[in-house]
Parts: sequence; C-alpha cells; structure tokens
Amino acid sequence: MIDGTRVIDYHGHVGRWERYGMVDDPELILGAMDAVGIDIACLFHIFHPDGTTGNDLTAQFVARNPDRFVGFAYVSPTMPDRMVPELERAIDKLGFPAIKLYPPYTPWPFNEEPWHPIYEFAQDRGLAIIFHTDHFINSRPRYFEDLAPAYPRVNFVSAHCGNVPEARAEAIAAAQKFPNVYLETCSTYRTPGVIEELVEKGGADRVLYGSDMPLMDPRPQIGKIITARISNEAKRMALGENAARLLGI
Amino acid sequence: MSSLTFSPRVPVIDANVCVGNHHTGPSPCQSPAHLLGEMDFHGVRRAVIYHAQGEQISPTDGNMHLEDWLDADERLIPQWSVAPVETSMRQIAELHRRGRVKSARLHDCQSAGLPFLPWGYDDLLSLLSSERIPLWIPLMDVEADHLVTTLKAYPDLCTVLIGAHYTHALVVRGLLEANSNTMLELSRYEPIGEVEALVDRFGADRFVYGSWYPRYAMGPILFYLHHTRISEDDLARICAGNVERLLGLTEGS
Repeated sequence: MIDGTRVIDYHGHVGRWERYGMVDDPELILGAMDAVGIDIACLFHIFHPDGTTGNDLTAQFVARNPDRFVGFAYVSPTMPDRMVPELERAIDKLGFPAIKLYPPYTPWPFNEEPWHPIYEFAQDRGLAIIFHTDHFINSRPRYFEDLAPAYPRVNFVSAHCGNVPEARAEAIAAAQKFPNVYLETCSTYRTPGVIEELVEKGGADRVLYGSDMPLMDPRPQIGKIITARISNEAKRMALGENAARLLGI
Repeated sequence: MSSLTFSPRVPVIDANVCVGNHHTGPSPCQSPAHLLGEMDFHGVRRAVIYHAQGEQISPTDGNMHLEDWLDADERLIPQWSVAPVETSMRQIAELHRRGRVKSARLHDCQSAGLPFLPWGYDDLLSLLSSERIPLWIPLMDVEADHLVTTLKAYPDLCTVLIGAHYTHALVVRGLLEANSNTMLELSRYEPIGEVEALVDRFGADRFVYGSWYPRYAMGPILFYLHHTRISEDDLARICAGNVERLLGLTEGS
C-alpha cells in the first residue's frame, strides 16, 4: 500500500532470461515489491509459443504466493490450433483473469486475421488483453483503432505505451477515441514528462502502472509515477485503482 | 516506506546531465533556469553537465556552448567532452591550465571507426591519468573488451561508466572487476535487485547517481536508490559523496 492505495503492478514476467539479468526469483521480486509498497503483481510467461508450458509455469509461480501475484494467459498465433483451447484452459481452469500477447514473436501485426480468434474469445468473456507495443510494424498502437470498436467488451492495454514518442502518440490517440484502450507505463525509455502526458492527454483513468519485472526492477518504474508532476488522485488511479477495476479485484 | 510524494533524504549531485540541443532535435530543457528548476523539484543540489554537441558532433564546439549554461552559484559543474584529436586535446589542455577541468567525457569515436584501444588513445589517456582527471565513458560507445584491455594499461586513470542498461548485464560485473578505478553511473541500470547486489559485491564507493536528464527523467532512479536495503551512509556516498570525492568538490567549488 502507498498512502492507503493498493498498488497493482500490471506488467511482470515469469521465466528466466539471464543474458539480461532477468531471474524470476520470488524472494527477489517480493523484496523489491515490499520495498516500495507494491501489493500485487500481474505476471505472464511469453517464452513458449504453445502457451501451455508457460501458463503452467505462471500458475505454479502464482500458487506459491497467491495473495501477491495474478497470472495472465499467454498464447501465440504461431500455433493457431492451440490458441483458443489454451485460453479456455488458462482462464477457466488456471483462473487467470486476463491475456498477454507479444506480437514481436510472430510474423503478423496484431490487427491481422491470425490474431482475431483471441479477440473473439476475449469479447465473449469480457477480458482485458495487454499487448507489447512499440514502433515496429507488428506492434504499432494504432492498431487499437481497428480493434477497440470491433471488440467493445475487450479492454486493450498498450504495454510500454509504444515506448517512443511516435508510437506513444498512437496509443494516446486510440485512448482518446475509445473507452476500452488503456496505457501502461513500463519502459526503459524514462523520458521526462511521459507520465504527465499520458495523464493529461489519455486521462488519469486510463493509465496503468507496470514495471516489466523481473527484467527491470519495479522500483525505478514506480518512481516514474511518484516523481511525476501529476495530482495525488491521478497517482492513486495509475498505481492501482484502474488496474483493480480492469481486473475486477 | 513509500508515499505519494518523494524527496531525497541525503544531499544529491546528479553525475550525468546533458544540456543543449542534439543535432537531431530540440531538448525539452532549453535554459539553465529550466534545468535548475528541475533540480529543485527533485531535490538535486548540483549537477555535472556536458553539452549534447559533444556526444557525436564536436567536443570542442560542445564545450564552447557549455559555457553558456554555467551559473553564478556553481550548482552546474562543467564536464568537458574530449576526443583524441588535436583540436580537442589542445582545448582540454588549455582549460586544465586554467584550473577548470574537474572531469572529462569521452566523445564517441568508435562509431567513426576508432576503437577504444591504446594505440588510438594513448596521448589522451596518458594526459588524463597523469593529471588525475577522471573520465566519464558512455558504455554504448565503447566495446567492453576494449574497455578492459585499455583501462588495464592506465591503472591510475579513474573512469565512470555511463548508461549501463539491462542489455549490459553480462558485462557490468566483469568491467568493475577488471579495474578497481572504474565506477558505474546508475541512470539506466534496472535489472532487479542489482543495485543492492553490486553494492554488496563491490562496495558503495564504486557507484554514482546520475539521471542522464533530459534523456531520462531526473526522479525515478533517485527514488529507487532511496528504496533499497543499502545503508544511509552508502546512499549518501552514491548520491553525492563519491562524485564529490572524484571531482575534488567542496561547497561552491
């Protein structure tokens, strides 16, 4: 908790990527979370295209500290026959409340046809989907302008908010046009004024704090919110209130 | 514990601030007054500043433009860009003769074909080493192997490695291990738990706070450093004491 606000980190990973110092050690992760008052972290495993392998690892990780972690389901259109059955399993049996997608690991921009069975599933269930977004062709936030009106029961979350100014502007434009587009904050591009821009242009009710842990430590990422020139009310919304509403927790 | 507002508990010197415009576009910070306002907002007392033109265009022109940013109160501490070319070396020698060089910053020559190896840098590194002038080195501008090889040849040269990112995770410890006079600036180094782990391994004297403002916001890393399990004494060293010692700073110097 930070000043009475339950803090939810909307972007974290299960899995190891030692070449970049990423180790999913629960003690390390919980230590960093506790040092700044993060109550809950949303986690997903994106390194296995079948979905099942990573989702099971996520479920095992979450089960060790179920009051601190929430698992998201991951699937990939590179294994199309497995997508919907695995989503059904991850949501219904593993109890995950949302979906994570990672377009850079596929050949397709995320508005193209191979992805749509996932969106139809999410539309049926009224789920949130968090997408990796950046300035490369597969991951442009402008695609939300195609998807958000077509799947109005899905909440679309732009992870990293596009990372760079051009893509960030696309994410903000989509959030301005559609009420089911959200802006997530984690990035090593910690440009001054970004959090202020997201709140001012996208709306405080659309901003979600995320860290990308354990690839990155959650502390400097939450520091972006705390040290931004935004109101305390906006900070509370970004730090946890928006995520709680989105996830129904 | 955290709160919705933050201010540092210890004196802070930002060891890595860029001023002026890059050739690629305008900076969000256009004046010394703006920079000082940003420092005040985040509780930063002083900052080591270099000019953007010194990174990839001209160290000598960058240094001339840096003069426009120096304030009467000396909260902004000039750092002079340098390259192993005659014009730059002459300028640095003259600035040093006038007692104005507390630190230097390496201009990116690797992207122009000159690797960071003794055969290309001996005059410059010998000068900095003999005159006890510390050198800031942007990690993305230098090969890790060249750093290890070259710095071993100048064991008295103090260096501060700038801008380590998680993509440097495999080399950071090796670089610190290889040369005891090498320090690490922390503006971009975010692998989980690594600040604590590095301080445990190498001691707090090897690390300095820098933000690399305005490339990055000034507050987040400062906030991070105040929410680790490192001691208050170590925090004070990282936030100001180490860079004060390295630059020979006293109040107002």
